[in-house]
Amino acid sequence: MNRAPLIFLGIFFTLAFSWTGIVLSNQLSYGKLQPITDETENKSYPELLPGLAAQGKLVYQDLGCIYCHSQQVRRPGFGADDKRGWGDRQSVARDYIREGRVLLGTMRTGPDLRNIGARQTSRDWHMLHLYDPQITSKGSIMAPFPFLFEKHKIVGQSSPKAIKLPAPYTAEAGYEIVPTPRAEALVAYLQSLKDTYAYPETKNVFVEPIAGTKKENQK
Amino acid sequence: MSAGEPRETNPKIEQAGASDESIQQVHSILLREKPEPTESKLPMPLFMLGFISAMVLTVAIYFVHNSGGFSPMVYDERFDPKNAPGSTQEVKADPVAQGKKLYASVCAACHQPTGAGVASVYPPLAKSEWVNGTEEHVIRILLNGLTGPVKVAGANFNSTMPVIGPGGYNFTDEKIAYVLTYVRQEWGNNAPPVTPDKVKEIRTQAAAGRSTPWTAAELEAIK
Amino acid sequence: MATAPSLVASFDPTSSPDLVKRAELSEIDASTKIPVLFFLCSAVLWLLVGTAFALISSFKLHTPSFLGDIEWLTFGRARTAHLNSVIYGWSVNAAFAVAFWLMARLSRSVLRHSGLLMIAGAFWNIGVTIGIVGILAGDSTSIEWLEIPPYATPLLFVAYAFVGAWALITFRFGKSGHIYVSQWYLLAALFWFPWLYSVAQIMLILEPARGTVQALVNWWFAHNVLGLWFTPIGLAAAYYFIPKVLGKPIHSYYLSVLGFWSLALFYNWAGVHHLIGGPVPAWVISAGIAASFMMAIPVVVVGINHHMTMVGNFSALKYSPTLRFIVFGAVSYTITSLIGSVMADRQVSEVVHFTHFTVAHAHQGMYAFFTMVMFGSIYYILPRILLKEWPSAMLISVHFWTVSVGITVYVVALSIGGIKQGLEMNNADIPFLQVVANTIPYLLSRSMSGILITIGHLAFAVNFTWMLLRPRAAQKTAPTLFRTPPEMEVVR
Repeated sequence: MNRAPLIFLGIFFTLAFSWTGIVLSNQLSYGKLQPITDETENKSYPELLPGLAAQGKLVYQDLGCIYCHSQQVRRPGFGADDKRGWGDRQSVARDYIREGRVLLGTMRTGPDLRNIGARQTSRDWHMLHLYDPQITSKGSIMAPFPFLFEKHKIVGQSSPKAIKLPAPYTAEAGYEIVPTPRAEALVAYLQSLKDTYAYPETKNVFVEPIAGTKKENQK
Repeated sequence: MSAGEPRETNPKIEQAGASDESIQQVHSILLREKPEPTESKLPMPLFMLGFISAMVLTVAIYFVHNSGGFSPMVYDERFDPKNAPGSTQEVKADPVAQGKKLYASVCAACHQPTGAGVASVYPPLAKSEWVNGTEEHVIRILLNGLTGPVKVAGANFNSTMPVIGPGGYNFTDEKIAYVLTYVRQEWGNNAPPVTPDKVKEIRTQAAAGRSTPWTAAELEAIK
Repeated sequence: MATAPSLVASFDPTSSPDLVKRAELSEIDASTKIPVLFFLCSAVLWLLVGTAFALISSFKLHTPSFLGDIEWLTFGRARTAHLNSVIYGWSVNAAFAVAFWLMARLSRSVLRHSGLLMIAGAFWNIGVTIGIVGILAGDSTSIEWLEIPPYATPLLFVAYAFVGAWALITFRFGKSGHIYVSQWYLLAALFWFPWLYSVAQIMLILEPARGTVQALVNWWFAHNVLGLWFTPIGLAAAYYFIPKVLGKPIHSYYLSVLGFWSLALFYNWAGVHHLIGGPVPAWVISAGIAASFMMAIPVVVVGINHHMTMVGNFSALKYSPTLRFIVFGAVSYTITSLIGSVMADRQVSEVVHFTHFTVAHAHQGMYAFFTMVMFGSIYYILPRILLKEWPSAMLISVHFWTVSVGITVYVVALSIGGIKQGLEMNNADIPFLQVVANTIPYLLSRSMSGILITIGHLAFAVNFTWMLLRPRAAQKTAPTLFRTPPEMEVVR
């Protein structure tokens, strides 16, 4: 192989071929994917993130949550995602078409978060968990995020936003622990994560033939 | 190597040769190096051809078999859009479930979630002879509204029901059919469901062009 | 080897064609000295930085309270800083150094315009530094392997533009007719990398693609950085140094051709295996799996080529540091790639995807293969550009044994731990926190192996610095080997 131009052509072609097949073809076919307007509920799915949750997504990125948490549910029967309550159907492409940055993740050092908003609705639980995961989940290896909270002197009444930490984390008398706006936003984002709508393509699932039916008997 | 090129004495080597020891250094590194690598022209072992063919065959079969018909809407590799029964049909919507959602969003404000209405103001739908009666009446009421005195379950009412169909809440034929089907089986009511086709038939034929609300008397004249 | 000529005869460059070639090589080496040294020094510094972040991240994973209050070092940022410093700091700088030195030697032409490469190196290192500081500050893009914030990436582009310009000029001046296998890989790598990086930047950051097409772009990009940038450079080095150190030709030119083109064709498509079970069309996942299976072809081919070249000469591993590191790397390449092909099977992926097994696999590729090959290359290159020998064979030995044992413990511990984690995660009867608790012993083993590896890196850095600083005069003339081979008992 001594002709550099030919080598160059081959090198170029192999890259172009994979880009066209993997990226371009899907970018084109995804163009047909539109949000679905559900006439009964008068909403369109997938939903856009409300403002505070959109800010919370930036906090999620800033702190690198993606490196321990995935956001994609595998189909029932492939892994135990459905049995663990992480989702009752496989995540489909349409679930993500409104996201500016898709954060699928590739590690499950912690649980999948795609439907955490449906699974864990308590703001207080999230606040305690973020302050120090050991409070709600003993033995967790998740990082603590005390810097998402501030200690305030109680002036007059205590703030309704203050979180009630158990011993030994409780603030000393006269002080309270209040989440920063970043914490509020992050929790709003987590609470917004739910993919419950049943798009038509979620029915494209292989169904085992039932024993004793005609197909079985013909074998 | 282009052997024909003239080569003058390399000044760098002469510079490097400034001291005896560095000559030794340069030369020993150079000298002990083996020649630049080359490739021998031994042929490919035959088993490679067999190995490659076997790989290509098995992997190609795997690929084609697990691609969900190459459809961009298939995320389960075992699913084949061509073979699966009924896969191209939309699963039918459940009219009662849909009707319930619609009722909650539009009708419950006046007729109440219990279907009991508000005394003297909004008629009840529960056990109403109008709801349980002919669909010719209820469909017209939703399409064009109802005004004036009307007797429902022994009580008198006199207000105006707004248009639920086109021109008012803009319910489609399906939505009108679903909500009517729902109320006609809820709260002890027991009347047959209403189909979208029937709503369409009344809207485009019998009641076509009607722009004013019906009165109870006009409806009672229709059988 | 030929008998040593007399000193006077060897002074005259025209005394034998063999010596003419060697004099030429010496000239070429001298011309590469400044830029290669610059990239190697940068690489070693980044290696130490990356190793520090590695230790911090590893400790945090089993002891989350470790430095837990420091926002800048929170795991999500420390781990990302580790990845970017070892990839874009250590690995790319080492890759540049080795690639430029090999290109110059193999094109049989003096490296000219080294100023272009120096400017490139400066921009690159500044860009990566700003990028990593940005990541620690919280500006990571959260796109895997592309986390460097957008304010730093233009510097990387400028750097590569200079590299590209230099590459075009240099290859034009190449004298040799025959293009050796390493050169195909180097040319391919130098061409592929900027395209991958540019497309990724455009389709993920500038004009983000639609929904999970982003994931497809992400993993087409990231896996191809492994397969079309680092792997070719690692293979180019192995294809050069194994026959070079042994003085034997590569076993089969035809296998080399097959290996190169099958790698180019299949590696490109394999990246989708990162998305098995994910929200992308089933057909493209199957295509990625198919390509991952087919990768067995180039891997087996390259393995045969290297093995058959080594056959009969394994005793050289007793002596040559270069060969030992490179062969360790080449064997790791074969093993890790074959494991990769197996991991792509859906049934296997069902267990190991999302687990520590994938971390073990990634480190087997980037460390046990690529980094070890870079170490071996550096052990060969540095004496030739500095015209000095490595000061301490003991430090080389410490380096080799700590990192080879270290990475082996790392890969084995996390592989076993990962499989266990995956099997348990797929059993919904086992509470999630229990699954996590069961991984802790393996995470601890990884931290221990990390300490071993750190010692090795320190030994290497000390030896490296010592060699740079020591004057040329106080030298022995024999190479620094693990032990003295029989034919070298008498120093010439």
